[in-house]
Order: sequence, then C-alpha cells, then structure tokens
Amino acid sequence: MTNILLSLNEASRTVNSGSNKVTILDDINLQVKEGEFISLMGPSGSGKSTLLNCIGMLDSFTGGGYTFLGEPVHSMKEKNRSKLYKEYIGFVFQAYHLIDELTVWENIETPLLYKNIKSSERKALVADMLDRFNIVGKKDLFPIQLSGGQQQLVGVARALIGKPRLILADEPTGNLNSKQSTEIMELFSQLNKEGVTIIQATHSEKNASYGSRIINLLDGKIVDE
Amino acid sequence: MIRNYFKIAWRNIMKHKVFSFINVIGLTIGFSASFVIGLMIYYDYTFDKFHKDGDRIYRVVTDFYSPEGQFHNSGVTTALENAIKNNSNFEIVSGFYIERPFKVENRDNKTEFKWPNFVIFANQDYFQMFKYKFLAGNVDETLTNPNQVVLTKARAKDYFPNLKPSEIVGRTLVYNDSLNVKVTGVVENFNQRTDIVFEEFISHPTIMQTRMRDFMLENNWNSTNSDSQLYVKVKPNADLDQIQKDFDALAKANTDEESKRYGQSRQFTLQPLEDIHFNESYGIYDWQRGMASKALLRNLALVAIFLLILGCINFINLNTAQATQRAKEIGIRKTLGGSRKQLISQFMGETFMLVLLSAILSIVLTKWLIEIFADFVPEGLEFQLLGTPIIVFFAVLLLGLVTFLSGFYPALVLSKFNTVSVLKNHLGVGDKKVGLRKFLTIFQFTIAQIFIIGTLLVGKQINYLLSKDMGFKTDAVVSVFSPRGERELSKKELYAQKLKSIPQIKGLSLGGMPPASQSTKTSTTTLNNGTSEIQTNLQFIFGDTKYLDLFELQLLAGRVFRNDTIQEIVINEAARKVYGFKTPQEAVGGLVDFGDRKVPIVGVMADFHQRSLKSDIKPMALVGDWYRPDFSRFQAVHIAFQNSNTDDLKSTLSKIETAYKSVYTEVDDYRIEFMDQTIARFYSREKKISKLLNWATGLSILISCLGLLGLVIYTTNRRVKEIGVRKVLGASILQINTLLCKEFLILVAIAFVIAAPIAWYGINDWLQDFAYKTNVSFWVFLVSGIAMVVFALMVISIKTLKAASVNPINSLRSE
Repeated sequence: MTNILLSLNEASRTVNSGSNKVTILDDINLQVKEGEFISLMGPSGSGKSTLLNCIGMLDSFTGGGYTFLGEPVHSMKEKNRSKLYKEYIGFVFQAYHLIDELTVWENIETPLLYKNIKSSERKALVADMLDRFNIVGKKDLFPIQLSGGQQQLVGVARALIGKPRLILADEPTGNLNSKQSTEIMELFSQLNKEGVTIIQATHSEKNASYGSRIINLLDGKIVDE
Repeated sequence: MIRNYFKIAWRNIMKHKVFSFINVIGLTIGFSASFVIGLMIYYDYTFDKFHKDGDRIYRVVTDFYSPEGQFHNSGVTTALENAIKNNSNFEIVSGFYIERPFKVENRDNKTEFKWPNFVIFANQDYFQMFKYKFLAGNVDETLTNPNQVVLTKARAKDYFPNLKPSEIVGRTLVYNDSLNVKVTGVVENFNQRTDIVFEEFISHPTIMQTRMRDFMLENNWNSTNSDSQLYVKVKPNADLDQIQKDFDALAKANTDEESKRYGQSRQFTLQPLEDIHFNESYGIYDWQRGMASKALLRNLALVAIFLLILGCINFINLNTAQATQRAKEIGIRKTLGGSRKQLISQFMGETFMLVLLSAILSIVLTKWLIEIFADFVPEGLEFQLLGTPIIVFFAVLLLGLVTFLSGFYPALVLSKFNTVSVLKNHLGVGDKKVGLRKFLTIFQFTIAQIFIIGTLLVGKQINYLLSKDMGFKTDAVVSVFSPRGERELSKKELYAQKLKSIPQIKGLSLGGMPPASQSTKTSTTTLNNGTSEIQTNLQFIFGDTKYLDLFELQLLAGRVFRNDTIQEIVINEAARKVYGFKTPQEAVGGLVDFGDRKVPIVGVMADFHQRSLKSDIKPMALVGDWYRPDFSRFQAVHIAFQNSNTDDLKSTLSKIETAYKSVYTEVDDYRIEFMDQTIARFYSREKKISKLLNWATGLSILISCLGLLGLVIYTTNRRVKEIGVRKVLGASILQINTLLCKEFLILVAIAFVIAAPIAWYGINDWLQDFAYKTNVSFWVFLVSGIAMVVFALMVISIKTLKAASVNPINSLRSE
C-alpha cells in the first residue's frame, strides 16, 4: 500500500516581466506516491527547474493547489512551510552548491545544525554518512580540493543527512563525466530502493531511464507521461 | 552551532584579509579612542563621590558683578560664616582658612620643613563635614582649643618618620619659628579620588597667633580672600531657593556705599561638591594637578564617537558591497533549512568576532595611548582602571552596540537574498545598496574634511598668536625669581650686582612679574580729568627705572619715575584713553586717586599685550616699589642677553645660576622663566586642542581612506570585464583611471561642500574666545579640499591604476 506524498492540482506559476505576464508553469496536475523515482524531462526553459523549486518550497506556485503529506502548502505560513521542508525534503544541485568555506564534514553537518540536533548525535550521523559514501578520508578537505563526482557525492550525502522522504535533484549529473554520472545514478536508484522518493530533472534519456516514471514538460505544461 | 558560526566567521575573515584588515583597523582606532576617553570621563567624574551625603555638601563662593564684568572668587568674606551659622537650612557650617606656613619644625629630631602645602586652619566641624578615619586621637575631642593640629598619615610620616600614629599624638610641632602646636590626631588620607587634598589641620583659634590676626579680627564684610573657604552641609529637606534668598539679603545688607555708587554687587552662591573638579571659575586647591574641563571631555567624547562611527561605516560599506560574494553560501544555507533568524545571528556572530578582535587589540593600544596623550590624560589615571566593574560593563555594552550598528544592517541585507535567484546567479542585491554606501562614504569624508579644515585653522590661529608682536621684547629675556618668602632687598641687589659682571648680559631690571604674565594685581582708581570723574580698574606691573628699557617698552610722553620708590606712575595708552585724555602729552601730570592717596602720572607708554591675545589690552600702570622697606614687590631680576646664540646662552645661564647660588646659600628655590616660553604657555590649551585635532584628523582620514580603498577594490573587481572591453576598444590607462576615479571623487567633492560651512561655523565659534583673531581665509578651505582630494586620489589610484594596466586578454578570457 503506497501513500500519496504530494499532489499538485492545476498548479501554475506566472511572473511579470515588464508589462508582460509570463506563464512558466501552466495547470500542472501531478500526484507523487511515496517510493517513486520520477524523471522530469524537457528542453531548456520548459519549466523543469521551476517545478522542482516550487515542489521544494524554495519558490511558490502562484495558482492552484499543492498538498504535501496531506497538508495544504499553498495556504501555509512561511514558518510552517519551512518546518515541513526542513523535515522532509533534501536538495541536490547540478553545481553541487557546497559551501566553499566549510569542510566536507561541516557541509554535511549543516542541515543538522538548522534542525537543532545535539552535538553528539550530529557526530554520529555525519560519521555514518561518511562511512556509507566511503568518503571518511576526505572529511577534512574543502570542496575545492575534491573532484566534481566527489563533490556531488558530498552534495547527496548532505541532502540525505536529514533523513528526507523526498529528494529533489536538479540535473544532478549535468557537470559530471559519464563514469561519475553512472555512479551517482546508481546511488539514486539504490536510495530509491531503500524507500526515498526522488524527483530529478534531466536532459539525459539514460539518466531518465533509472526512474520509474518519466514526465515530459514543454512550455510549462505536462505533455506526456 | 555557535562554534560552527565562529569557525566559518574566522575562515571568512582570513579569506578576505584586506577587508578584514580595514574593518579591524577602523574599529580598533574607534575603540582605542573610546576606551581612553571613556577612562578619562570616568576618572574625572568620580572625584569626591565617596563622601557621606556628598550631594548635600556645598562650597559657598562669591561672584562679583561690576560694570567691568563678572569676577569669581572661591572664597567668601570671613564674616559670612557667623551670619549663616544659625540658619536652619544648614546641618553643618564649616569655614576654614588656607595658610601656608613658611616653616614647620619637629624639634625632637631637629628636622624642619619649608613651605608645607595644604595646611588649613579648621575646627571640629570640618571633620563632621568630611569623614576622615582617625588612626589616633578622637574626632570629638580635637581642634577645640588653640594650638592643636591633626595630621594626615602621609604628612605625619614626613614629620615623624618612624613613629606610629598613636605615638605621634601628644608631640609638638613648631610653626613659623614661634608657634607651638600639639598633635592631637592622625587621620587616614582619602584613598579615593578627591580634590579635598588637605594634609594638615590646625585648630582655627590658633590663627589669632599668626600674621592673619588683624585680618580675622577685622571680620570685614568687604574683603574677600580666596583662602577663606566656607563649606556647608544642607539639611535633607533644605530649601535651596530660600538659602539663596538669605544669601542675597546678607549680600545686600552688607554692601558698602562705594560699591553702591559704582554699581558693584556680589552674590554668594552654593557650589555643589561635585562641581569643584570642573568649575574653573573657582578652581581647586591643588592647582598643579589641573582641572577637568567638561567642554574638553565633551569634545573628546565627540571625537571618540565620530571615530567609532567611521569604523562602523567601513564595516557596513564593505560588507554590503561584498554581499554578492557570500550570496551563494546564503542561498545554500537557506536550501539546507536555515531560517532568516539563524542567518542573521550567524552574520552578527561574525561581526561580533571582528569587533571582539578589535577590542582586544585596542586594549593593548590603550595602554600605549595613555602615554601618548599624557597632556590630556589626568596624572592619576592608570591603565588598571580599565578593570573597574562599571568600566567593564560599559565596554561590553559598547561592544554590543558597535556589533549591532555595524552588523545588523549587512546581516539584514544578506539574509534577505532570494534563494532561487541566488543559486541561479541572478544577482544584483549588492548593487542595490550603492546609494546607501555613497551616502555613508560622503558622511565619512565630511567628518574627515571638517577635521582637516579645523586643524588648519586652529594651527593658523596658534601661529598668529605666537608670532604676533606683543609690544615688548620677548626673545632673549629671562626672569629669575627670588626664593619664595625672601624679603630682603639687599640680597636681590647683591645678586643684581653679581650679574652685572657677566659680559653676555645686556641689561638688568629689578621688578615684579614680566610685562605679560598670568598673575595680575588690580586696583580701582578714579581720576578727575577736569570735565568728569572717571573710575576704572587699573592693572599694575612693578619695575624699577630700567624696566621699560629692558623690555623695550615705548615711552610716548613724559618720563619714567625718578627713582624706584617714589610714588609716580607711568600709564599705558589704554588707561590714557579710559581716563579721557586726548593725547599722551595731556595725560602727563594727571592725578590718579587710589582711594588712600593721589599719585601723579609722569609718563605714558605704548600699549602692549599683558596677557594672552584672548583678552583685550586693559588699562595699566607701571609703578615702583612703594612699600619698602616693609614689603617689596620686586620678586624677580629680569635679564636681557646680548644675543641669543645657543652655545653662548647655555654658558650664560649657568653663570646666572652660579651667581644665584652664591647669593642665596640657604635655600634651593631657583626659578627661571624665559619670556617666550611664558607666552607659549598662555596657549597651552590651544596647543592641546591642536594636538587633539591633528590626531583626530589623521585617524579619520586613515579610516575613511581605508574604507574608500575597500569600496574601490570591490567596484574595480566587478568592472574588470568592462575595463578589458574598453581597453580593447582603445582606451588609455589614464582614461580608464579617470573613469574609475570619477565616481569616488564626486563623493569627496560633495563631502567638501557639506563640510565647509559646518567647519566655518565651528571655527568661527571657537575664535570668539580670542580678542585677536586670524582671518578665516578662503585659501584654507581650498587647501584642505585639495588635500582631501589628493588623499582620496592616491588611495583610489593604488587599485585603479593596477586594474587599468592589466592586459585585457586576461580579464576577458575567463568569460
């Protein structure tokens, strides 16, 4: 029996660019069940990233409804939304977005700090994570000292540290070579098997094939599922 | 979490070394100034705060009003004490008389002490007013009878070096050769800051056995001596208005006919104990220590605040400018769940770290600054005061305030970044704050500019004061003073005789003070010039027949008096005008009425400046030594040199000293004053202001220029690509440099426009203190404006020239 993790009901996003109203997302209807691995595909500018950001609550829809674990996000206050998001969502970016001033260890630790988790517990969690990703030897290095694949590994580790139910990945392999890409995608599919829901945006058919479901976007609309 | 913040703060500080350095320098200067000045304020405001019921203790002082102006005297007429003794508003009334004995002997061990200071004639009330701790003797049984004395522990140690307080009580001291006084008590000196510095308390009735006997017996309402002090402690519910009314009534009832005729009046007023340390009108007892000036403290505090603000501004400017560089970190932190509040506290933490670093540095600096500013810092102020709880409290408060001022706004700006646009690199938030940064930069340069103009003008005025012709010979003239208390004229004459044999000496004159000095002797005189009777205060200088020649004072009419003791006077032009004579010639022969005698004017001399150029030239007369042989006004030998060649001068001076030692064998009280140094001393306060302004100017320019440098580095870095493109299109280094400098120089120019009128107003206000002022010239403003531009240009060019000369290939390739 699988639960509905989130559902979008005629969700849309429009922005004003000068005097023109531009529709970036148009009447999106989507239900995501727990344990799914969804690949969003479509050309540049089709709205993949915006959809991810909106689902991830970094941005918001300007119309329609968004329900996350049964709670109506569209009518939620900023504070509650942030709580929800801290609790359940992890992000992985194309450009890794590690904090340059922090070591690998500290980068992974940061989400825990914002969740006010005790120091001893933090240590244990981070150590586990380093272990699992085989990067214990790199824990005191700064991002700049790592290869792209290693950085993305740290990025994924950081996304996972808070034990999210949903991982949003925006072209996670866009900056990696094919070998590194394969590693990351294998990792995602491993995580998915362990029960984490994943939504990724990608250009690559090969990466999309790791997913259980592919959604094609064009000009802010779902064209094919 | 906190540790994590500090860790990242530290890494950020180290990553942007130049910016951190600029920030730390600015804040450190501000803090150091604040610490030193804060200490001074604390030091000066904690004088005499420890007395029990100190808020109810007042000194009664006298203000005199007359058509010539207002005069202040810290003493009161001796008659006042008895007149108010029974006033129900007072709990204690204690008068005492300050009198410096010329000799105190402890005949037991045959030691004697010349001119002990801080000796007063007081009675028991004094010890009721000011609570001393008695180490020996009893407060209730002391100073009731004549010939008793209470010593402080410090003084007792001088007189009876090896005795315990209890052993000292009962011993006898001999004052002024004949007055036997028994020690009845020893008290602990006040161990906190105080201006009540007396060391020796002789019972009041004893004064009847001294030279003051007549003065005391006379108990005259119309004579006021600053040595006759009166303190009162009012009752807790006392009516201060009523006390003032009672005082006014007493003053009115006891005004003599003469005062009424000439429109003179006086007023007794209550001076709060805490005012004594600050009020220069009445002075303090230990005049060597110098008083605190509230105005000076206020100006110092302003300087400190300005320097701190300048430091904070650098912080705000650099941090908002740098915001874009940190945008990515902020965006990531937000996606990782950081709330705005958490981000703000992180940035505040970083700010606090820099502030703390600056504060630690400035504590180290403070120790050194206290030495540099020894002229300003009161003598007893020590670095250790910094550990006083209240100072620590204020320092922590200040750290908090500065952290808030400099950190809060940048933190708000930084934490406001929109996550999505940051991560997509659509930025521009840092640029939106350009307006604010410009405003703050203008503010900084306005302050720096005001300081520059102020420094130049104050310097100009001081230069004017020192170089203005005083109207008499000021170089190569020294005055050697006779030992204090030396009354014999014969010794002075002998000394003068010996000096005459020194070939380098051009001339000698016996007399009182030199023509310009801090001390004055004034009498009220009247003169009937045929048409009307004119009354005026006449100042005196005392000198022999050669005095005019020696100081090269110009005689306009008549002659000098015939000999040193004849009662004739030579008046100056100012007196001649006041007396209503049309020409100097007309004045010769006039009779000046001193009240008890009429003295003829025999000559008129040209005006010269008797005091600093802050005051006008007052009516004055040169008189001889009228009271010989009882009393001689001639306390000094004035010596003019042949030339002022330095080597020559040195040997001459040593000869003068040798001659002195051969005449005055028993005492060691050699005092010599150079006329030009005396005049320079008139302006010691102005010199202090000038020194202060120099520092303030230097530091504010430094902080502001560093801030400017930071902004220039930032903007230039952002415009590297633009510079590259322009160079490819054929722009020269100079053109690019002009382009880059322009926007900053405009700020400096605007600052000048704002600063000039403010500085003009301020300096005009300051110059009101001087009777003789230098011009507030246009060129001073021009020069200071140009100086500021040059400073700014130098700083800007460090960066822009480098940026402009970079090969465009390098800057464009990265795209």
